[in-house]
Amino acid sequence: MPKFDRLACCLILALIGETRGALAQTIDRTAGSEMIARGAYLAKAADCGACHTVQGGQPFAGGLAIGSPVGTIYSTNITPSVAYGIGGYSEQQFARALRRGIRADGANLYPAMPYTSYAIFTDSDVQALYSYFKLGVAAVDRPGPHTNLPFPMNIRASMMGWNFLFLNDKPLQTNPRQSESWNRGRYLVQGAAHCSVCHTPRGFLMQEDGGKGLAGAQVGPWYAPNITSDVASGIGSWSHEELVLFLRTGDARGKAQAAGSMGEAVEHSFQYLSDADLDAMATYVMTVAPIHDPADRTSRFAFGKASSDLGLLRGTNGVRSDDGAPTGAELFQANCASCHAAFAQGSKDGYYPSLFSNSALGSNNPNNLIATILNGVDRTTAKGQAYMPGFAGGPTGLAALTDQDIVLLSNYLLDRYGRPGITVTAEQVAEVRRGGPSSSLLIILARAGIAASTVALILIVTVVVVRTRRRREPPAYAAST
Amino acid sequence: MANADSADVIVVGTGVIGCLVAEQMLDAGLSVLMLEAGPRVDRWRIVENYRNLPPSLRLSFDAPYPPKPWAPHMESYSDAAAAEYLQLEGPNARAYRQGYVRYAGGATWHWAGICWRLTPDDMRLKSLYGVGRDWDFGYDTLEPYYTRAEYAMGVCGPSDSALQWPPIRSKPYPMGPLPFGPGEQRFTDAAARIGLKNLPSAQARNSGIAYDGRPPCCGNNNCIPVCPIAAKYDAAAALPKIEAKGGRILVNAVVYRVETGQKNAIAAVHYFDPDKLTHRVTGKIFVLACNGIETPKILLLSKDERNPNGLANSSDQVGRNMMDQPKLVAELTLAEPMWTGVGPVQGSSIMQTSQGEFRSRHGGALFRFNNMARSRVGAIAAVRKGLVGKALDTEIRRLSACTAEIAIEHELLPDPNNRLTLSDKKDWLGINKPNIHYDVGDYVRRCASEYSVPIAKSLAAELGATDVQVSTEFTNSDHIMGGMIMGADSTRSVVDLDCRAHDHSNLFLPGGGAMTSSGCGNSTLTMAALALKAADAVMDQVKHS
Repeated sequence: MPKFDRLACCLILALIGETRGALAQTIDRTAGSEMIARGAYLAKAADCGACHTVQGGQPFAGGLAIGSPVGTIYSTNITPSVAYGIGGYSEQQFARALRRGIRADGANLYPAMPYTSYAIFTDSDVQALYSYFKLGVAAVDRPGPHTNLPFPMNIRASMMGWNFLFLNDKPLQTNPRQSESWNRGRYLVQGAAHCSVCHTPRGFLMQEDGGKGLAGAQVGPWYAPNITSDVASGIGSWSHEELVLFLRTGDARGKAQAAGSMGEAVEHSFQYLSDADLDAMATYVMTVAPIHDPADRTSRFAFGKASSDLGLLRGTNGVRSDDGAPTGAELFQANCASCHAAFAQGSKDGYYPSLFSNSALGSNNPNNLIATILNGVDRTTAKGQAYMPGFAGGPTGLAALTDQDIVLLSNYLLDRYGRPGITVTAEQVAEVRRGGPSSSLLIILARAGIAASTVALILIVTVVVVRTRRRREPPAYAAST
Repeated sequence: MANADSADVIVVGTGVIGCLVAEQMLDAGLSVLMLEAGPRVDRWRIVENYRNLPPSLRLSFDAPYPPKPWAPHMESYSDAAAAEYLQLEGPNARAYRQGYVRYAGGATWHWAGICWRLTPDDMRLKSLYGVGRDWDFGYDTLEPYYTRAEYAMGVCGPSDSALQWPPIRSKPYPMGPLPFGPGEQRFTDAAARIGLKNLPSAQARNSGIAYDGRPPCCGNNNCIPVCPIAAKYDAAAALPKIEAKGGRILVNAVVYRVETGQKNAIAAVHYFDPDKLTHRVTGKIFVLACNGIETPKILLLSKDERNPNGLANSSDQVGRNMMDQPKLVAELTLAEPMWTGVGPVQGSSIMQTSQGEFRSRHGGALFRFNNMARSRVGAIAAVRKGLVGKALDTEIRRLSACTAEIAIEHELLPDPNNRLTLSDKKDWLGINKPNIHYDVGDYVRRCASEYSVPIAKSLAAELGATDVQVSTEFTNSDHIMGGMIMGADSTRSVVDLDCRAHDHSNLFLPGGGAMTSSGCGNSTLTMAALALKAADAVMDQVKHS
């Protein structure tokens, strides 16, 4: 039937891929410094270096181990090295990789590379990026490590089905009812800045859940929170200026501080964007459809107040040389108050934030409180280095707090300075310490999902082929009653 | 590989010296076993201990570190307590009441973090002034090690050579200087008016950035007795790094005997555990880094047939030439608030007064405006006045703001009669306690009467002090030096120029004990430089053996 024919055509088209516009076959070596500079800026906006540059390594030479719930993915060398990078890529091939997740040799990239977001890059921006990576980056003639995911994800062709289902590669259409700034903001947020890659929850095949855009998701040990315009569950209570400042510095005083991957995004990407672009992004983000969590009656930014239990500790405890179990109050005063102050009010200039009126303690998900205690904060912008040491132990850990210590401390902090009723368990702490939720269930689901869709694909193709053959053969016998 | 019984390098002591050596050894691929007499305690427990102290104990910097019975150290909360462990005698016995803790991490737990270098002249007292001893190498030899030590610990200091001491450097400081608090700035201005330069301290304290994964200083002013956030370098912060590199650390292991073997080389060390059971540990190279009192003590305890005077002691210099910087203190009362307590406790010093032709006649001195918050002192004094309620509050504030202290630290010459021996009194494990005879000598007393005290009074006057009380009894600065003195001549020194014992080819004794002259400045950076120099020599020796 016609429906199946159409389906077959779509499949075939998906497999071949389509070109969009007339992209150059070879680099235009006369590309001016302005275009290269624009490409460099876009590379900052897209934060290519976050994955493609190892700390202390050469720019864009790849080799970063990216932990995913299905295994470790290594970023590739995207310097203009001919042997090991993209030196041999035409602009068309570069565009295909960037926007469709397909390498020059035709193999699929894993969506750890956020091509699902970069899919909306305009041809002009692709050209600028291409010029930058071919002419503005030093070639590094060294290959990166090989990525080996478990079956069936190691068969890159399995990504074809996934892309067919989930890759939306239609270019953005300008929304004439919105300002130029809003449109620019949407282009950056949905594209280069790829916010949804962290902030949008995913379905069981790890695709972004389109109906829950920016409603919050777990990313390794950190939780990327709800940043929709909902006042209680999102950032609807923020002002435009607050959001712009947060993007530029990672700090929204009395509300939130960027750490983990968001801290890196501020440090390596957002702080370099123009005022106009940050303005545009804030304009767009503040209009994202509100998604409300019924558990939230008030925002996560306004819980708690200054208080101190010093009166219970001082003058009673004395000097101890034992290893006896501590109380939460002791752990707070001894480990936290030296910077965050005795009443948890932080410092006057906000360098050390208050612990009350702080999203890490006010969220209905205490994940980021645990992650902050374990991993600390390290975020350098033009304002300076915002630094909190981690307390997980290890070679440079300030202290080696056990899981039980962190349970005591977290519950004390939540009770005194955070959201009532939220508590932390040892299992949660252990999971965050391990780097986030484990993958075995996800791998099983992913395998089941891919197996199911492969079976479905085979069935569809079989039916199409059989029916096509039947139509070609003349009926041997007419039906007779 | 290191196990509980042996390793390539045995390091006794987990203070700054032991930890610097251990890390160098591990980086060079050698196995390391560290033995520490005392316990390993979490930083947060020490911070809470400190903050739980009553006001009367707040000036006893060892009070947050209650010693274990098997690893006693001097406790300063009363004269009677202080007389328990260190047996002190002589005209200036009080000035050798040295404060250090026998905990994993050692005395850098509670040090101020100050990292002055010696000057070239400091190392040539005999040639220049006819007193003391010359070092058998010059500043130029030590300079690269000073630099390495500064980068290893994370030392901050000025880039302006006019503010450096001495301004002879091959590399800039790893971090820029910390700013002065208001009291320090007033002191700097007052000193300038009488022709004295108050310099920002070189200090092992993170300034503005998180060096080595430790946060920058946020001005707790808690440095002595403990930095709550490890912005100040202490060796305790080095311990996890050492373990991550494969080093093994045994705590509560009290070394009481070093055993010699073939050719008088060291074969093993013996230690007691808290159950008084003895253990034997072997290795190729042995480093004793227990501090300038504990190391000579162990050497003397280890005397055997071949070494009847104690190990490493054919020169009879082990335990002799004990040095420190004897301290006097000028207590000032001021009409206007001075406000100490903003920033670290020792942010600056006047150093130029340590140098000069007068050194043929009397020693030099440094002057330091003590930036410790005065609330401790003010609280004790106000309570003692019997005040209560609002009157108590007001008086505490007044005393905290309107009093100040200028410390004077004097250089001292090595005198063989300033000597550590083994007391007949024994500790909980049955080990002889250290006995120290100390006389600061006329070289120091002449400095005080003719030079340093008059200058302190001028400084006080320039600050507008309404009252000045200068102490008359010298006290300790806790910079233990000289007991294993270094030299090329084995007849009058214990260690050679790499801190290797002259008598034992595989025994190294880096630290303050090896220093040949005291200088006026805090000794730790020089000790650390000697430790790195010794580490280089160990690696060289192991490579060629």
